Amino acid sequence: MSDGTLLPRVTRAQFLKSVSLAAVGLTIPGIVGAAHAAEDVTILETGSSLLYPLFNLWVQGYSKIAPTLRITTQSTGSGTGIAQAIKGIAQIGASDAYMAGPQVKKNPTMLNIPLAISAQNIIYNLPGLNGSALNMSGPVLAGIYSGKITNWNDKAIAALNPGVALPNHAILPIHRTDGSGDTFIFTQYLSKSTPEWASSVAFGTTVSWPAVQGGIGAIGNPGMVQTAAQNPYSIAYVGVSFLAQIQAAGLGVSPLQNKAGKFVLPNPQTIVAAASGLIDSTPADQRISLIFADGEMAYPIINYEYAIVDSKQPSAALAKAIKGLLTWAIDPTGGSTGDYLSKVHFVALPDKIRMQSHARIATIAA
Amino acid sequence: MDSTSAGLARSAVKAKGRRGPTNPFRMALIGLAGVIPVVIAAVLLFLVVYAWPAIRFNGIDFLLTKTWDLGNLYADPVPRHGVLAPIGATYGCLVFVAGTLASSFLALLVAVPVSLGIAVFLAEGVKRQLRTPFAIVVELLAVVPSVVYGLWGIIVLVPIAAHIIAPVLAAVFPFIPFLAQAGGSGFGLLSSSLVLALMVIPVITITVFDALTRIPKEAKEAAYALGTTKFEMVFFTMLPMIRPAVIGAVILGLGRALGETMAVLMVSGGALNYMPTTLMSPISTMASFILSQLDSAEQDESGLAVQSLAEIAIVLFVITVVVNIVARLLVRKGASR
Repeated sequence: MSDGTLLPRVTRAQFLKSVSLAAVGLTIPGIVGAAHAAEDVTILETGSSLLYPLFNLWVQGYSKIAPTLRITTQSTGSGTGIAQAIKGIAQIGASDAYMAGPQVKKNPTMLNIPLAISAQNIIYNLPGLNGSALNMSGPVLAGIYSGKITNWNDKAIAALNPGVALPNHAILPIHRTDGSGDTFIFTQYLSKSTPEWASSVAFGTTVSWPAVQGGIGAIGNPGMVQTAAQNPYSIAYVGVSFLAQIQAAGLGVSPLQNKAGKFVLPNPQTIVAAASGLIDSTPADQRISLIFADGEMAYPIINYEYAIVDSKQPSAALAKAIKGLLTWAIDPTGGSTGDYLSKVHFVALPDKIRMQSHARIATIAA
Repeated sequence: MDSTSAGLARSAVKAKGRRGPTNPFRMALIGLAGVIPVVIAAVLLFLVVYAWPAIRFNGIDFLLTKTWDLGNLYADPVPRHGVLAPIGATYGCLVFVAGTLASSFLALLVAVPVSLGIAVFLAEGVKRQLRTPFAIVVELLAVVPSVVYGLWGIIVLVPIAAHIIAPVLAAVFPFIPFLAQAGGSGFGLLSSSLVLALMVIPVITITVFDALTRIPKEAKEAAYALGTTKFEMVFFTMLPMIRPAVIGAVILGLGRALGETMAVLMVSGGALNYMPTTLMSPISTMASFILSQLDSAEQDESGLAVQSLAEIAIVLFVITVVVNIVARLLVRKGASR
């Protein structure tokens, strides 16, 4: 009996000893790491696949300014970007959508910092008509995606496109299967322009898509372009940074009806026109939808591309590195020159919004 | 008591002890073997504990309804069924269960005869020198990453399904609604099943081929001595002899098909809120749906969306275990015959 009780006691003591040794072993590199932190900082950026190509360009450009800073970028989706930034796994979460209200309430130290303005193309594949810039409106798109408008020669589509010989063929609406900031802004456009959509499907990075005969789910922006190219009579929504692929595939891009009733295509003028009307109403926390803005020339589906950052960073060195990178990224002489932004068809922040972003960036601290 | 006999008895006990459960080698083996059931139980326990709020919130409707709606994540969640939930949130996994079972079943329907044919061909139809190169090619198919199959599916298979297979089936079987849907995108049940079949074929082929090569020469010679042709020998002597191996191989294949994620996600068409009705219908499988929805679910601050995805994982887990048990019972029945 005594042997039986002694044995575990000895092992327990040994166990504790080994645990404490292991703990010491773990803290020593920790201390060393902290001492070197000033030179040896790694920033992980993860999230939006729309922001990913631009961030990679930024990393290249910024490496000339801060050669010792290591930046890792990942294209994982906006939701993951936000979640990992909250958990502290990633220092910068990239997102096409601002954080949801309940998320902000629960994580009050998280900042939503606009870095640039993006837009979305509505694309279609209609044999013979891809060059004729078929007009689309929010209510018609909502009708198509909810299965109420099922044929290309529907009178609602014809009314937007007088004189165009529309084919008698079923429409194949393509939506994103994976969670996506593009779905967020597209469904927000439908919600703001069509009350019926707002009260039934509403908006989000995924929504509960109504069952539509012939509807297809695709993965990622490249998947949207490819699926549209493979399927005549389809319609889809794709981030503006994929314009080159859309044109290479010979797909049509639709001018969209804005709040003023005009049909406009996304380009720097119409994107700026939409953003400028909302500059003054952008709140201090910068969480605002730019969808369906006022203005004759305003393109209706634009959005801020956000960096989701915790204002409480674990070390001063890390906070300084993040501030340096983001400040440079939105600087019109740094990362926000046409050299960087025009490659992905983004638009630089208006001055007032850039100042707001600077103020937000300045609050990042250890 | 006689001291020698007591000593003998003691040494006998010692010897028995060395072979018995206290033998350290044996203990180590038991410990290692025990890791697997413990890990499985731990995973299931973790999933149930993690998904518990969702299990309470969803109730039995989870298995019976086909609507999946994350609700309004941009407004504050409200209490419902004793849990804080986003307004309008409903979670039902019927569509995904149907998609998983339908695509796996169809995949096996294609893969099993093809695999048996390849295995018999490798074992009996080719010269011994050619056997190894052929077998290596089949084994290579088994190690191709699934995303490669998915990419091939999108670029090659989906257009073929839409523009060749669907119109041909519709023309040949206009009276069978399940087969007679021409048109559509090619993304859906048929493409998913064919991609799965391609991934399952090497798994089944290799296992069956191994079993065929282990059949003693005497059995084959006995069949030939009775005057059978090669065809009769294969079908009436060899295949019945390896029935348990065939069933085992099919279970392995089914396991792969049920759990396959990426390749299916890429060609399934991502059905949501509706059941597959034809061979060309878009579907969603449980594994691929979990993958595609996790990103958005993480924006649900109430946590219910991710917990409901975990509940899908539990359902998939249970289905896999049930399928395995049923298959094992079949093997036992087959072996006892």
